[in-house]
Amino acid sequence: MSLTPHPHNLSPADAAHFLRRTAYGATDAQIRALVGQPARTVARNALNFDARTAPDNPFDPAVGATPGAMLQLTRAAWLFELMYGPHPLRERLALTWSNHFVIGTDKVKNHPALAAYLGLLRRHAAGSSFERFTLEVSQTPAMLRYLDNDRNKKGRPNENFSRELMELFTLGIGEPGKPNYTEQDVREGARALTGWSFEGGGNVKNTYLKPVSASFNPRQHDDGQKTYLGQTGRLDFGDVIRIAATHPQTAVFVSRKLHRAFVADTPDEAAVQGSAETFRRTGGNLGAVLEELLSSAAFYAPQHRASIIRGPVEYMVAAVRTLGQPRLEARQLLNLSQTAGRMGQILLQPDTVKGWDGGREWINDSTLLTRMQVAAALTLGGTAPPPGAVPGDLALFGSENGPVQAALNGLNPRQRLYLALVSPEFQLA
Amino acid sequence: MPDRRDFLKLSALAVAATTGMPGFLARAAAQATGDRTLVVVQLTGGNDGLNTLVPYSNGAYYAARPSIAIPKRDVLTLTPDLGMHPALKPLMGLWDAGQLAWMENVGYPNPNRSHFASMAIWHTADPSQAGADGWIGRVAEKIGDPFCASNIGGTTPLALRADTFSLPSIERVDTFGVKLPQGLDGAFDAMLNAPRVGEADYLLRATRQMMKNTARVQQNVKKYRSGAAYPESRFAAQLQDAARLIAAGVGQRIIYVSLGGFDTHAGQRAEQDDLLATLAAGLAAFHADIQKQGLADRVVVMGFSEFGRRVAENASAGTDHGKGSVMFALGAGVRGGVHGSSPDLEDLSEGDIKYRQDFRGVYAEGLQKWLSLDARSILGGEFTGPGWVA
Repeated sequence: MSLTPHPHNLSPADAAHFLRRTAYGATDAQIRALVGQPARTVARNALNFDARTAPDNPFDPAVGATPGAMLQLTRAAWLFELMYGPHPLRERLALTWSNHFVIGTDKVKNHPALAAYLGLLRRHAAGSSFERFTLEVSQTPAMLRYLDNDRNKKGRPNENFSRELMELFTLGIGEPGKPNYTEQDVREGARALTGWSFEGGGNVKNTYLKPVSASFNPRQHDDGQKTYLGQTGRLDFGDVIRIAATHPQTAVFVSRKLHRAFVADTPDEAAVQGSAETFRRTGGNLGAVLEELLSSAAFYAPQHRASIIRGPVEYMVAAVRTLGQPRLEARQLLNLSQTAGRMGQILLQPDTVKGWDGGREWINDSTLLTRMQVAAALTLGGTAPPPGAVPGDLALFGSENGPVQAALNGLNPRQRLYLALVSPEFQLA
Repeated sequence: MPDRRDFLKLSALAVAATTGMPGFLARAAAQATGDRTLVVVQLTGGNDGLNTLVPYSNGAYYAARPSIAIPKRDVLTLTPDLGMHPALKPLMGLWDAGQLAWMENVGYPNPNRSHFASMAIWHTADPSQAGADGWIGRVAEKIGDPFCASNIGGTTPLALRADTFSLPSIERVDTFGVKLPQGLDGAFDAMLNAPRVGEADYLLRATRQMMKNTARVQQNVKKYRSGAAYPESRFAAQLQDAARLIAAGVGQRIIYVSLGGFDTHAGQRAEQDDLLATLAAGLAAFHADIQKQGLADRVVVMGFSEFGRRVAENASAGTDHGKGSVMFALGAGVRGGVHGSSPDLEDLSEGDIKYRQDFRGVYAEGLQKWLSLDARSILGGEFTGPGWVA
C-alpha cells in the first residue's frame, strides 16, 4: 500500500513543520505563504527545482592556492548555497545523497571531480531513476577513487566498491542471520566492476585543479561468466549496478533512508514499505517517492513533529534562514564550515563511508558547547548580523505556543534570539 | 522543589531530582572514584594485524604478501618468530620493560567483514548484533555515574552509549567550559526549566549534564603540568587530554580515544606505516607523561581494531577486509609479552586467519582484574582472557 495522503490543507504549524524539514527553516512570512494550501501542491512546488544557484557566491574553489584551500572553498561554497540558494530542498537532498553515496575529501582532493560529483547529486536529487543515479555516481572519478575501483583490475580484484555498493548504496546488509548478499556476491561483483578507472586530475599541488574523467579499459575488464545476486552472465559494470539498484530490497533500503531523513530517526516500517512499493511501481522514481512522502499523513503525523535533532550544518543553515538570510561575511562562512566539522559534520567528509547516522549522535558535551558558541556568534557577537525583523515563535520553534516564550520575556531582541537558538526546540526539526 | 539554579551549581543529586534522570544517577558516587583508569584506543578501519605484529619467520607470510610484507631486516624482533612493524619503534622501551602485551588471534564468532557491523559488535560486545547499548555505557550504568567514562573526540562511539543517554565526549579539554553571555544566567535557567518530552527532553538533559561535566573538568584540570613532549598529531593531542583528565583526578574510569584511516585497500605500506608511527609516538609520549605524573601504576591502555585484513595482499598493494587481528595493551599493570598463539597462515577461513581468542575475554580481564568490576554482568556471559593484566 502506498502512503496515505495528509488529509487537510496546511495549518500554520503544518507549514512550519514542512519548511523546517524541507528548507532548513524559514521566516514567518514564508511559512504563512503556505497556509491553506493542499499538502500535495506544497510538496510538488518544493520539489520542482531547476539548475539555478545562489547569485554572488563569493567562493570559487578553482582559485584555491593549494588542495587544502580548494577543499575549504568547496565546503564554504556549498554552505553558501545551502543558506542563500533558491532551492533549499534541492540542497537538502544533495546533502542527504552525499550522506548516502558517500565520498570523502581525505581521498578525493581534485576540484573537477568534486564539482562533477556535487553537480550530479543536485541533478538527480529528486530525479526519475535511482538506477541511473547510482550508475552515474558510481562512474564519477570521485567515487572510482574513493572506493578504489580505479585499482580494481582483471585478475587483481579490489573489493572495496563492490562491497559498499551493496551494503551501503543499494540493498543494505540485511538482518542478522538473513543477509541480503553473500561474500561470493562481493567477489563476483568486484570482477564485473573491473576496468573502470579515470584519467587526468589528481590530488597533489599541480594536478588538483586539472580535469578528470572516467575511463574504461577493456583489457583490464574481466569479461568472464559471473553469478551476482542470483543472475549469471558475462556481467559488466552496468549489469551490476542495474541488478543491485533494482533489487527489491533496494526499494526498502533507500525508502528507509528517505524516511530517516524526512520523517523520523526510527521510521515506521509499514510507512517505509509504502514508499518502497511506490519506488518499485515507478521504477525507482525518486521525485514520485518524495512527492508522496512529503505530502503523506506519516510526514505530518503529530508524533513526528519536532522529533529530529538538527545536524550541525542544518542547525547553522536553519539559523540563517529563520533570521531572514542576513548576509554573513565570507570569513564568517569559512569559519562556520570549519566549525561544522568541530560539531561532527565536515561537508563531503563523513568519518566513514557509512556517512553520519545523525539523531542523538550529533549531541554530546562538546557539540552542545559549540552550538552555544555558534548561536552567540550569530546573535550577540561583534560580527553578528544586525537582526532584521525578529522571527516569531512559529519560525523559531515551529509552533505558536511552545514552552520557551515565557522565559524570554524582558530580554532585548539579540538576547531573545540567542536563547531561542540554544533552546532544545530550535535544535529540533 | 529544588532551587532552579541548583543545576548550575553542579550537584549530581540536584540533576537527578530535577530532571527525572533514571535512578542509577542518584546512586552515583560510591564506586565512581576508583583509582585505576583504562584507556581504550580504537584503530578505525580495520588495522592489518599481520603487518603490525609480524610473523617474520613464516614463509607463508612472505609468500602471501610479495610487495607489502615487512622485510625481515626491518622487523623489530620480539621473539624468535614475531616482531613489530618498524614504525612501532617508540614502543620498544615499553616492551623491554615488560609493559607491552600483544594478544594474538583475537576475534569473534561468525565474523562480519562490514566495517560497521563489525565495529558495532566490538562496541556492544554482542556478536548477535542485537544489543543497542555499548559495553562502556553499561559500565557507566553499573558504576552509577555518566562521567565515569568519557570519549576524547568529536563524536561519541556506540561503545559509550547507555540506555538513556550517551556519555561525555570531550573534543578539547581547553575549550570544555561554558561561558554564558552576561546577564543571561537566569533566563537560560528559566528556558531550560520548562518541562519537555521526547527529543526536546533529551536535549534538555544533555545540556544540563554538559553544564555539570564542564564544571567538573574545569575545576580540576589546572592542576596538570605536562610531563612529556607530545608529537604533533590530533591523536597525540587527544592522548594528552586523556592524561590531563587522569592527572586532574576528574573521575573517569575509562577514557576512549580513536585513530582512523586503517582501511588500507591500496598502497597499504605508506598509509599503515604513517598510522602506526602516529600511534606509537602518541602512546610513548602518553606513557612517559603518565609516569612523570606518578600515575604509572594506575593507568593501562588497551587497543583494538574492528577486524584485521586478508592474509594475501590484493593487486593494489593493499589488503581487503579480513577477520581476526591483534590487540595490544601497555602500562605497568600489564603482563608484557605475546599472549596466545600466532595464526596458522596455511589453514585459513576464506583467506582470513581463524580467530582463537574471543575479544570479550580480553575486555573481561580489563573489567574484572584491572577495574574490579563485575565483567559477567557487563558482557552478559563468562569469557576467558589471555591473562594480559599483571
